Amino acid sequence: MTLIDLHDGDELMMVDRPRRRRIAAFPYLMLAPAFLLIAGVSFLPIGYAIVQSFFRSSNLNLGRLVGWQNYGDFFLTRNGLGAVANSLIFVAGTLAIAVPLGFALALALNRPMPLRGLIRTLLILPWLVSNLVGALLWGWLGNPQYGLAPYVLEKIGVGFPNIITDPGAAMASVVVASAWAATPLVMVFVLAALQTVPIDLIEAARIDGASPWQRFWSITLPLVRNTTMVALVLTSLHAFKSVEIVLVMTGGGPNGATETMALKVFKEAFTLLRLGVGSAGAVAIFLINVMFTMAFVRVLRTEHGA
Amino acid sequence: MTTIKNQRPLARRLRATLGKVGRILFLASAVLFAVVPILWAVLTSLKSPPEVALYPPTFLPRDWTLENYRGAVFYNDTFLHYLFNTAVIVVVTALICLVLSAHAAYSVARYRFRFSGGIMFAMFSTIMIPGVAIVIPLYMLSVKVGLYDTVLVLILVYGAWLTPTLVWLLRGFVIGIPIELEEAARIDGCSRLGAFYRVTLPLLRAGLLAGAVLIFANIWNEFLLGYSLVQSETARVVQVGIYANLTEVGVQWGRLTACAVTAMVPVLIVYALLQRAFVQGLSAGAVKG
Repeated sequence: MTLIDLHDGDELMMVDRPRRRRIAAFPYLMLAPAFLLIAGVSFLPIGYAIVQSFFRSSNLNLGRLVGWQNYGDFFLTRNGLGAVANSLIFVAGTLAIAVPLGFALALALNRPMPLRGLIRTLLILPWLVSNLVGALLWGWLGNPQYGLAPYVLEKIGVGFPNIITDPGAAMASVVVASAWAATPLVMVFVLAALQTVPIDLIEAARIDGASPWQRFWSITLPLVRNTTMVALVLTSLHAFKSVEIVLVMTGGGPNGATETMALKVFKEAFTLLRLGVGSAGAVAIFLINVMFTMAFVRVLRTEHGA
Repeated sequence: MTTIKNQRPLARRLRATLGKVGRILFLASAVLFAVVPILWAVLTSLKSPPEVALYPPTFLPRDWTLENYRGAVFYNDTFLHYLFNTAVIVVVTALICLVLSAHAAYSVARYRFRFSGGIMFAMFSTIMIPGVAIVIPLYMLSVKVGLYDTVLVLILVYGAWLTPTLVWLLRGFVIGIPIELEEAARIDGCSRLGAFYRVTLPLLRAGLLAGAVLIFANIWNEFLLGYSLVQSETARVVQVGIYANLTEVGVQWGRLTACAVTAMVPVLIVYALLQRAFVQGLSAGAVKG
């Protein structure tokens, strides 16, 4: 008899009513403290954000009802649509570097070689650094006045645009910093998946005359595709909500060229003190997160079903 | 036939060598990409202030000095206080979080009860709430209930933030423990709770360790909530302390990099000591990150 049977057991209810009640309460009691904490500090605020997004706040109070105006203000004033576009570029740019790079690194590391452990550790390092410090490191490396990167690149004849004043270079620099931080996650996830690929399978294909490329394409790739997808989604969600990198490196500048949605929420709330408008942006970010996750779960599920 | 036999190994060997060289070059440049920003900051932090402001920059410090560390870290009570605050928050949150989530994980792993599916879904769905989406209401609510600008508000918020991920992580570990062990304890006269404490909990050690590392790495590196919910230096955490240095007029990069390097060290130490648990915890926490 399993524990689950115990609490469902009708015979117990007949024999011993009070005892049965205690048994039924047990899982709830075990769960309650964690649940209450989450309810108070996660459900309540997200509900509050939704309500606040329809009110114009004043002095930390709800303020007066303004309908959808906060959403209009968030997306249509102060370069709101530009922030949406910047978020897209930021996320897409991060993915375009981090996913292929992380994947390739995992493949390269997935075979015995000298110093493998050391190389893996060095490649994981960016994962251990906070986004704030990572942004600071890249900002310092590319610092137009004293930085190492402008100096070295100019020395070897490649010009280096100013990452503070040039809009394209500013976006490129925050994308590089974001991809730097995101690559180890992809690498670790894909490497873990690669290590579950049965060697016999690859060996059998090799004996049957499959080329390395065929072996990769028909055996390895299908087996690690889901994990790669998971890493891809986590990376996008993480980049999408990231505030620190842009805040530290460019502050959203020059002239809003790197201001993402997440940074705009932060600024609306804590610089401009427009809490209602900020809440509208926050709710939008939350909903985009939810939709993206749900679409992704559906894709994974249908793939499993097929 | 013989010619083919003779040529093939050569072509194959050539290709293998090229592949090897390519792989080494690729890995070497990736390692550079990963390490150079960190290395550059470490070197900067070891230079004297005038040398930091030189252009063209010197790569290695001319005179290696700990001056920046002395000024910005060792003898800087404010920064030491930030480190202390962060450490206290990590320890207290870890205790609360691990206790709550071990119980909750046991409950959702072992029992199916009314609303259990719904409760689990609601709980795990909060993992998808990004910090930036709830930072404004948390700020407003914390001011209203009088917790704004305290260490306590960060403990509560970080606790609620990490608990669902921990429940998820530990649930997997509980499922991996054979239920027969608990049944044997029950037959020997243990209560349900007793069986959990005496049998299951000790077997969860690996999971609890991974969870503790997850909590540590996430809180230690957290900036956004620490910045928004705390204003005074009394309750400030380390990442916010670094940011405060950055926004000062006339950034002193030597001191700033010294602070940044100091903030990285504890995470690196924990990683070095507990690699396996670290990767396990960080992977589970990546959803939240």
